[in-house]
Amino acid sequence: MIQVEGVHKSFGALHVLRGINLDVSRGEVLVVIGPSGSGKSTLLRCINLLVEPDAGKVYIEGVQVNRPEIRPEWVRQQVGMVFQSFNLFTHMTALENVMLGPLKVKGIARETAEQKAKALLARVGLAAKANAYPAELSGGQQQRVAIARALAMDPKAILFDEPTSALDPEYIREVLDVMTALAREGMTMIVVTHEMGFASGVANRVVFMDAGVILEEGHPEEVFSHPKHERTRAFVGKILR
Amino acid sequence: MATVEAEATRTETVPLITSKTVIRAVEALVGAIVFVVLIQYVLRFSLFDPDLWSGATLRQANYWPRFVDGTKTSLFYISLTLPISVAIGFFLGWARVARFKAFSWPVAVYVDFFRGVPPLVIIIFASLLGPKLLPPRFITPDTPLLMGALALAMHSGAYQAEIFRAGFQSVSRGQLEAAQALGMRPGQAMQSVVLPQALRLSLPPLGNEFAVLIKDTSLLYVIGAFDLFGWSLLTGQTIAIDVGRLELLFTMWTSVALVYFVLTFAVTRVMLLVERRFHARGLEALSI
Repeated sequence: MIQVEGVHKSFGALHVLRGINLDVSRGEVLVVIGPSGSGKSTLLRCINLLVEPDAGKVYIEGVQVNRPEIRPEWVRQQVGMVFQSFNLFTHMTALENVMLGPLKVKGIARETAEQKAKALLARVGLAAKANAYPAELSGGQQQRVAIARALAMDPKAILFDEPTSALDPEYIREVLDVMTALAREGMTMIVVTHEMGFASGVANRVVFMDAGVILEEGHPEEVFSHPKHERTRAFVGKILR
Repeated sequence: MATVEAEATRTETVPLITSKTVIRAVEALVGAIVFVVLIQYVLRFSLFDPDLWSGATLRQANYWPRFVDGTKTSLFYISLTLPISVAIGFFLGWARVARFKAFSWPVAVYVDFFRGVPPLVIIIFASLLGPKLLPPRFITPDTPLLMGALALAMHSGAYQAEIFRAGFQSVSRGQLEAAQALGMRPGQAMQSVVLPQALRLSLPPLGNEFAVLIKDTSLLYVIGAFDLFGWSLLTGQTIAIDVGRLELLFTMWTSVALVYFVLTFAVTRVMLLVERRFHARGLEALSI
């Protein structure tokens, strides 16, 4: 479904990704862990081309997408994204946030888009907040609207960039529940997170990144309980404590 | 349950003109009238003094037609400079933040220049320069005036460029990324996400700048514009030197001030309505 082959990315002198290879199959939930600055966010951004890889290939459903002939906008319609800081459009209600993509990008009729947006808000448990503005919602509610907004584009996969890191502890559960339900429904997901509960309970596979390379990958159980690499062990030890 | 649902999903629209808006406007106008009535009493003149308006005393200097014609001319200069200055300000403000950086420093130089030189100097300079720059067949007697008006618009545009730049820069990078992540093209992201948020913050200072520009059109008198201010200045000389009725000056200049006040008041009220259109709940300023 999503393949990454030998991807490199530098920002100036900073070599952030140093040859990443990744293969995510349909319906798989892949959790990416690793210390900050290890290139996890950049990897996600290379997949939906918010960041253009310097070298290497990114495939979506077998089509190489980081080519000049392919519009990055088209790629981003296929692969949704949920951000650490939610990034809801502050000048729009929750409903309008969810409707905007279908309306402007897909050109769907307003009534249809509204019906669908309402259904999606109900699905993330926020039917009653359709007319609230982002500033009137809690962090957890904002992130659930952001997930509904990504779902509204009918993406083939969704990238989650530390979706619970900016949340107060009491709101983390509700966001993880929505993500878990999504995973159970067969959505292909790549999740950068340090939520070990989510990783061991929901992920099919965990990838440990350090200094721009994938150091270790495997079943969550395996990576958390029997890390092979010294640095994985050190990192897992820190976040499990 | 069904009623709760219906209540929650009802689309709310903020009414643009509320009874509060109307009351505020009426209050301001009543305030202006009370003020005028008071200074008439204190300074011993009448706003409706027939010696000024009918022209019996002033012989050739008949003020009423000048007042009407001058107001029309002022309106012409305002409706010419305001849109031009907004267009200049918007595109230059955008150029300052655009990904394409080549325009950024020329715009910075432009802004520094037009903010650093007095508008009167720029207006005079442009009126002299215009006939030298343009090919002779395009030059009419109005050319120096129009060049002066353009210079005034460019002066105000420099200030507005800074206002728009601040507006654009206030929109966080994440907002643009979220729009991109939905598959929006740059133009769509600009139109639906960046612009509405940038404008929300640019509108209040923009209204301020409009009020300044409306009154600054009176500066065009230095290059011979017979707008409301130009005609009144000429009439004032007649009153002071030829007639010696100084109280008529109070009558005239109070009337002039009232016209500028009403114009500015109207435009700033319209800006308030536009601001309300861009209102987002939860982002209100603190009430201190």
